[in-house]
Amino acid sequence: MVEFGFPAFLVLSAFLFACGLTCLATKRNAIGILMGVELILNAANLNFVAAARFVPTFRLEGQVFAVLVIVLAAAEAAVALAIFLNFYNNHATVNVENATDLKG
Amino acid sequence: MTFHDALFLILATASAVSALGVVVSSSIIRSAIWLLFMLMGVSGLYFFLGAEFLGAAQLIVYVGGTMVLVVFGGMLTTRGPFDHVPVGLVGWVLGGGLSLALFALLVQASLSFVSHPRTDTALPGTGPLGLTLLGVPETPGQTAYLLPFEIVSIHLLVVLIAAAYLARAKRRPTSTHPEADHG
Amino acid sequence: MLPNSEQFSALLSTLSADLVAFLPELILAGGITLLLFLRLFPQLCRVHSGFVAAGVVALALTTLLGNGHVTTNADWEPGAFTGLLRLDLFSQFLRGLLLLFTLLLLLLCDQTGIPDRDDSADFCVLLLGGTLGLMLMTSANHLLMVFIGLEMASLPSYALAGFLKGQRTGSEAALKYVVYGAASAGVTLYGISLLTAVFGTGNLVTVTQGLGHMIADSESVPLLPMAGLCFLFVGFGFKLAAVPFQFWLPDVFEGAAAEVSAFLSVASKAAAVGLTARVLLLLQEANPESVRLAETLGIALAVVATITATWGNLAALTQTNLKRMLGYSTIAHAGYMLMALSTLRKDGMAAVLVYLVMYLVMNLGAFAVVAVLRNRTGAETIAACRGLIARSPAVGVSLTIFLASLLGLPPLGGFVGKFLVFSAVYDAGQAYAVAGSPTLEWVYSLLLGVGIVNTVVSAGYYLAVLRSAGLDEAEATDASGHALPLGEPWGVAVYLVGLSIVLLILGLVWNPLITLATSAIR
Repeated sequence: MVEFGFPAFLVLSAFLFACGLTCLATKRNAIGILMGVELILNAANLNFVAAARFVPTFRLEGQVFAVLVIVLAAAEAAVALAIFLNFYNNHATVNVENATDLKG
Repeated sequence: MTFHDALFLILATASAVSALGVVVSSSIIRSAIWLLFMLMGVSGLYFFLGAEFLGAAQLIVYVGGTMVLVVFGGMLTTRGPFDHVPVGLVGWVLGGGLSLALFALLVQASLSFVSHPRTDTALPGTGPLGLTLLGVPETPGQTAYLLPFEIVSIHLLVVLIAAAYLARAKRRPTSTHPEADHG
Repeated sequence: MLPNSEQFSALLSTLSADLVAFLPELILAGGITLLLFLRLFPQLCRVHSGFVAAGVVALALTTLLGNGHVTTNADWEPGAFTGLLRLDLFSQFLRGLLLLFTLLLLLLCDQTGIPDRDDSADFCVLLLGGTLGLMLMTSANHLLMVFIGLEMASLPSYALAGFLKGQRTGSEAALKYVVYGAASAGVTLYGISLLTAVFGTGNLVTVTQGLGHMIADSESVPLLPMAGLCFLFVGFGFKLAAVPFQFWLPDVFEGAAAEVSAFLSVASKAAAVGLTARVLLLLQEANPESVRLAETLGIALAVVATITATWGNLAALTQTNLKRMLGYSTIAHAGYMLMALSTLRKDGMAAVLVYLVMYLVMNLGAFAVVAVLRNRTGAETIAACRGLIARSPAVGVSLTIFLASLLGLPPLGGFVGKFLVFSAVYDAGQAYAVAGSPTLEWVYSLLLGVGIVNTVVSAGYYLAVLRSAGLDEAEATDASGHALPLGEPWGVAVYLVGLSIVLLILGLVWNPLITLATSAIR
């Protein structure tokens, strides 16, 4: 019988991370990319909480990490969406492929 | 298989499938709904691990706050509810291949990682967590987290101002009423 | 559950010393709040908020300089705030540099007027918030503070990049910056989560010691912490704009206002260099006798430095937009700084600190000239520089001095910085040869050659601008064919000439600076 320990959580979080990276690479919509970032941040947070559970010296620290990351992610989403809407006002799209005014 | 393991499998599968759903949906609103389920699954995993405060915070802040922002953003910037943005084959092959390779590497690394002995006691609850955020460590001499707790509040203030600046309309130089332009 | 009186008094006793050393950051935080409250009084808004912000930064800077005695305590374990920050001389040096730069930038903004009176309070809050984050980055001693510092520095920068929100290019710059920046922050955090999961703590000293032993001792390096370290360096590389994470920089620099580009180019880079240098030094200190770290990480960094410098210089050759050209030049300079960092030795780190001081003055000056050109001619192209020396001797000669210094001509500050970096690379090669690694001697000699060739290549674009400014006929002429004066305000002229004189002095008298940098590294 398999006991699902720390490695199982690491594999799950690696899967979420890989999904996030794929989102970053394939989504052309800026909000889709932001969702990919949220996936990656959640993958990292899952690592923190799992480590808090399974690593004795990390019990409190892991939770502190996770709670602060949740706060920072919310702040990041707020600024990112403000910038996206601002871009939308000027370009009438949030498709990053249409961001082509700046080229060398 | 114990109940415990079955619960983990259900939660993990739900989160993983939802994460995959975020990736493969070509509609932004569908992606957002998949992301919602992913966040709930992760929150369930936090509860499963015994971090009740984090599970609740994840539900309240992420599911309740951040996701609403993302869905609003999606609705404000797409032309219709099912505005599909197709992805080229090259993007899928390149992005997917790279992520798959990285995933394989990380799985190998995780499985070869010698796990620490499992601690049987429950995670410290909200009390010790709150105290350490106020600068009182669990045992004297340990790191306490008063500084990040306080500095993040300044950060949130700055972010609030940044978002408000970007979102509000540019003040008109002809405006005669300085108070009338808070819209 | 409340803290008992014993815990409370223990908290007070540890906090009192830490808060004194942390006073500059507290003053900045107070300044941010003050700027917010000033808006309650419309009468006070007549004062340009830039002056208030400049006053706050100046106060923070003097406090920092007056704090010297607090931070020299070398055996001050485990660090401030129960080990979260390390407010040592190294961080003191970089925090001073950041505050000085922000002060100079605020003074420039007052002259060029890029945030108009309505928006200046927002602009200053973002600038102060960003500086606060950068200061945390340079003094972080815990991976949590590294991430918080990165985020606190990045988010205001995203907003600053799109500060001219009505412009298409400004909003595009902000979009690109926030998309790439958020992605790199996510990857960095994932790396941090792997590292902390392996070592059971986020304390930078513990983590780097563990990593250093893993790299130096075992033949087969465990995969998980190495992946974590790589992801962490992705974030650093993004902030440094090292290849392959440089693609965002030219677009963002071109789209953002010149003043904001200067902030991203100098302050952001100084903090990223400081953070990277701290991590590298800690890694090396974990196992000071071994050359294995240099043989792995050192060579990898040397390769990245080579590609970064070469890419930046080659791409800059074909640019027509002055701001974009300076963006590529920023990438090239990141390459030179990475060369010094790749030595993993203390004199290399001291060299990079001196380089940063010179870089601050000359790059700020160059962007200030761009801002003046934008205000007076409405263009930011190299063509707008035509006949600049004839049109305005003060601006033209200052631009000559800044660009010559960026190129590294003696007797200017830029030469000193480059000379120190190159000699540190040479010394590293010699030292590693003595330590018994002929490969490394070969690598660092090659790196030195790359640096010199790159400097020669960079002459191509810096001198092209200077030729245009000095020899070409001005486009704007009066009826009799004489060049029209640029008509810059006298304040700007004084500012630019002042920066040039500082650069000249730094190029002649640089021993005190080296002493300071060496003592900061210890």
